[in-house]
Amino acid sequence: MTPRPSPVSRRRLLAGGAVAGLGAVAAVAATGDPAAGPAAASAPLDPGTATVPFHGPRQAGVAEDPPAHAAFVAFTLAAGTDKRGLARMLRLLTDDAARLTQGVAALGDTDATLAVLPARLTVTFGFGPGLYRAAGLRSPVADLPPFRIDRLQTRWSGGDLLLQICADDPLTVAHTQRMLIKDARPFAAVRWVQQGFRRSPGMQAPEHTQRNVLGQLDGTANPRGPEIEPAVWNPDGSTTLVVRRVRAEIEKWDLLAVTDKENATGRRLESGAPLSGSQEHDEPDFTALDDAGLPRMPDFSHVTRARVTDPALKILRRPYNYDGVPNALGHPDAGLIFAAYQRDIARQFVPIQQRLADRDLLNEWITPIGSAVFAVPPGCAEGGWIGERVLT
Amino acid sequence: MLTFAAFAAVLLPGSPAWAHAELIASTPVRDATLAQAPTAVTVTFSERLNPEFATIVVSDSARRRLAASAPVVDAGSGTVTLSPPPGNGTYTVAYRVVSVDGHTAQGSYTFTVADPALPAAPTTGPPVAAPAGSGGLPTGPLIGLGVFVAAITLLGYVSWRRHRRGESQ
Repeated sequence: MTPRPSPVSRRRLLAGGAVAGLGAVAAVAATGDPAAGPAAASAPLDPGTATVPFHGPRQAGVAEDPPAHAAFVAFTLAAGTDKRGLARMLRLLTDDAARLTQGVAALGDTDATLAVLPARLTVTFGFGPGLYRAAGLRSPVADLPPFRIDRLQTRWSGGDLLLQICADDPLTVAHTQRMLIKDARPFAAVRWVQQGFRRSPGMQAPEHTQRNVLGQLDGTANPRGPEIEPAVWNPDGSTTLVVRRVRAEIEKWDLLAVTDKENATGRRLESGAPLSGSQEHDEPDFTALDDAGLPRMPDFSHVTRARVTDPALKILRRPYNYDGVPNALGHPDAGLIFAAYQRDIARQFVPIQQRLADRDLLNEWITPIGSAVFAVPPGCAEGGWIGERVLT
Repeated sequence: MLTFAAFAAVLLPGSPAWAHAELIASTPVRDATLAQAPTAVTVTFSERLNPEFATIVVSDSARRRLAASAPVVDAGSGTVTLSPPPGNGTYTVAYRVVSVDGHTAQGSYTFTVADPALPAAPTTGPPVAAPAGSGGLPTGPLIGLGVFVAAITLLGYVSWRRHRRGESQ
């Protein structure tokens, strides 16, 4: 099973090019040399035309550095949709995704001009328990057990089919969402859509841990490099996805001092270093005591509760921020679309979520309001379709 | 005065200072010398505490954590029961508690047990950091271990010096 080629080296090149471009502009400004101007201006717009391969043994949109924008689109299958109907729908959607991700308009694309800048577009298919039920098959994923912190809303929960659409440009995401929903319409109704964002491309080096809307570095403990393989991918190229909508009660969070926030997370706000260390990637030391004998890592901090040491039990977090319309009082409607990939939800995700639900100080300011689980089937070769090995 | 007010408004943080829980009482009291060992330690704060998020650690002068119950929180107070009660010596009570509005209060103080009926305070053994959540360790074997390690180290040093001297001659 060949792993999908990493886009990181290409991204580094692009980032380097962007910096060089800025340098050229600065040089023009400094010297006032008009001849240098057009050359710098006509540099290729690489972030727009960059592509991620669609075909392969594993689906794209999982292990790559997450693009800046995402739409998670969940569908409810029309009553009576059977295996053959599912296959028809998935052939159609696979064909759309294969084209759009490579900057080619979908068949019957009503605005083909919007397809030319894929901006690292990926479309990742997830199958909910209901899809397997419709097909008369045993589902490899089951809904999460209830957690006492949950305040789940139907409008953000469940789903028979998920399309995770990611790209570095929001118009590309919007166009792709529109095309895919159009072609899914005969088979399935839109159940919910969650749109999110990360930092814009080129803002930070690709491997940089990004901040979430609460200002925390989010994803420091993610599996990296060779750790991803055993934590995320099954031998057949499949994986699983948990999507949780986690509301952040920012108006309450804003009342805290920096030390209060650091005690809740277990990390320094600025550096992301664990309270027992000095650098972001220092391993937290849960035995370290301060001069008075207190554990340096608060035993109720998020990091202490979430910690996983066995690399095979880690989860790959791929979260996006959301920030909707504030209410009349000015309270933000913001939080995290918490997307986590792992081989086995029951073995990897549930124990972590259970420990956090039991005793995580951060729960005072965050609330899960949506939850859904999906199996992510293997990728497909050119001419194939996503789900062919499940449904035929 | 107006200038000062404007200045203060800029400098003061947006968070209301009144919300922070402060230690207002404790048993034993700060710097107390007790003729009888306490069976429990209680710290009381100016705000109600969130019962789920309280850490109270009592350590001896070598930073070894004493065996204690999980904290029991009642309104603004948190209590841990010490079993067995500590022997003579100086102890540090360290706390990290969260008030119901989410603010963390953290600090420490010491008290001393000097019970005339008990042997004098034992000499301090090597500081051994007990992992969070573990109980206290028996001091006797640790002191023995410390003496043993010190003896081995000294022996090793003496033999190394001899060896070096032999080389330089």
